Amino acid sequence: MEFFKKQWKRIATVLLFIVLVFFSLEIGALSGAGIRSLFTGAEMRALELEIARLDAIPTDGLDNAELLALIQEQRETNERFNQLYSQRAVMLHSRLPRLFAVILSAAGLSVAGLLMQAISRNKFMSPSTAGTTDAAALGMLMGVVFFGDLPALAQGGMAFVFALVATMIFTSVISKLKLREVVYIPLIGILYGGLISAVATAIGFRTALTPILMAFNMGSFARLGNFTLVYIVLIPLFISVMFVTKFSIIGLGEDFAKNLGVNYKRVVFLGLVIVALISASTFVAVGPLPFVGLIIPNMATSFYGDNLKKSIWDLMLFGATFVMLCDIISRLVLFPFEMNVTVTVSVVGGIVFMIYLIRGMNSGKRIRAKA
Amino acid sequence: MIEVKNITQSYGKNVDILKDINFTVRENCVTALVGANGAGKSTLLSVIANLIPARSGEVLIDGKAVAKIKTADVAKKVAFLKQSQHFDIRIPVKDVVEFGRFPHCGGRMKDADNKKVSDALEYMDLKYIAHKYIDEISGGQRQRAFIAMILAQDTPYIFLDEPLNNLDMKYSVEMMKIVKKLVTDLGKTIVVVLHDINFASAYADHIIAMKDGKIHKEGSPAEIVNSEILNPVFGHEFNIVERDGKRVCLYFN
Repeated sequence: MEFFKKQWKRIATVLLFIVLVFFSLEIGALSGAGIRSLFTGAEMRALELEIARLDAIPTDGLDNAELLALIQEQRETNERFNQLYSQRAVMLHSRLPRLFAVILSAAGLSVAGLLMQAISRNKFMSPSTAGTTDAAALGMLMGVVFFGDLPALAQGGMAFVFALVATMIFTSVISKLKLREVVYIPLIGILYGGLISAVATAIGFRTALTPILMAFNMGSFARLGNFTLVYIVLIPLFISVMFVTKFSIIGLGEDFAKNLGVNYKRVVFLGLVIVALISASTFVAVGPLPFVGLIIPNMATSFYGDNLKKSIWDLMLFGATFVMLCDIISRLVLFPFEMNVTVTVSVVGGIVFMIYLIRGMNSGKRIRAKA
Repeated sequence: MIEVKNITQSYGKNVDILKDINFTVRENCVTALVGANGAGKSTLLSVIANLIPARSGEVLIDGKAVAKIKTADVAKKVAFLKQSQHFDIRIPVKDVVEFGRFPHCGGRMKDADNKKVSDALEYMDLKYIAHKYIDEISGGQRQRAFIAMILAQDTPYIFLDEPLNNLDMKYSVEMMKIVKKLVTDLGKTIVVVLHDINFASAYADHIIAMKDGKIHKEGSPAEIVNSEILNPVFGHEFNIVERDGKRVCLYFN
């Protein structure tokens, strides 16, 4: 019982996660293309044998009625086989990759937000409130302008470089500013991001690429072609898990880190590279998922504390569950069509962000009232 | 052994904070650094712990220049606790103490590391709050938690920069008693920056008085705590009385 009392939040999240995975795989226009279609291998092999057997039946000496019956049987077997085949194809080439994309991009952005918050020691930092996402969009546009013919990987590389530079500029400026209230930082970050996306819009306008830019900025888990890029997220995720204690120590301040023999500048740089890599690859593969990098780390650390070693897996699970929920909502509201996931994430995430912002302002007031 | 040789340090080009500092840290002693604000005590401590590089001169740990030792290895020799860590961070006491093992195990705790952590918690009497977050406990308990972390770090040298900041008298006395005990029980060498000369007089074995980035005078409390030396160091009139063999400065005039 003690175990359940202590772990109920984890258990509840895992259960919700499993239920959502199930729904995510089952919902769609093609019925029967769900999880069941993965276990039809035996039936498909049997059908193949049956088709071969029916083909091999000699037709000489059959009367018309018998021939018709055979053709009918052949057609039914073929149809059944085709049905199973297409159900399985939809599962393997659409729904499963989509699920992986949701889980990886959500977990990635959550970790990116967590690292940014540890590096800047500010709970309101995230890829979408520090210009990182907007810079990735600008980079991707520049990729199209300069290397339009090259594959998505080149655009991804440009997005990465732009995201890294923009984030480094923002974090170094922020660390020099002496702000009385932490809530100003996301607001400045959003302004900064607005500036970057204004540049992107201007360039898009001059190069007649505005429609492409608009398409970038509408996130969707239905961009089948770019999904492979999302698997790049696995590399920074792996590195973050490996160095998670170092990032926790960084979050306690420069002197603290140096005392423990951690090379502060190097770890901060590694963190920013991870953030940029995650932001750029999810942006290219999926598009912007605003607020995920902000609200998920806040939820995870308020439940499980700031020792990232203990909260990083919960954090990824939270992120994946949240985005999966948003994805399912955007697939259901216009069923059988789907809405851009950015819209759902923005609405739901925006509301939670507002709550955090108001709470942050109130706690700021309380601290000043005390002093 | 830690030797400080000809250390100078400055902010910008003209403002010298440390001017040609030379001394040897006494082993198995509590050494107190005292002096007026801006005398360079904290800077000196940071330079010795290699948190900031010296502009010239060198610090030798066991005969090796600290700047040439890997940071991770310095962290096994010298632990440094800075004044007023502003902690609004939710980490359990036990995890904070575990961070102290980082220089040794790189985050992957083995049995020996867990033993050290558990010993440190036991020694600082923190077992009963080991699972509380450090933003939920009192200032004195938090300071003890950080000392426990430094104990887990298991370094022969411990530098404390104004450990009594934000502590009331009871906790300050408790803290200095702990510092004293670390030297007598565990054979540590401790250098501590203190603002209140009376704490230095009561608990230090050796006092270094700093003035304008230089060592004005060093010696035992009996040698240092007298008005001829302290008046110029602090630029203040001291009235010194002796009670039960300890010297106490009265500075309310």
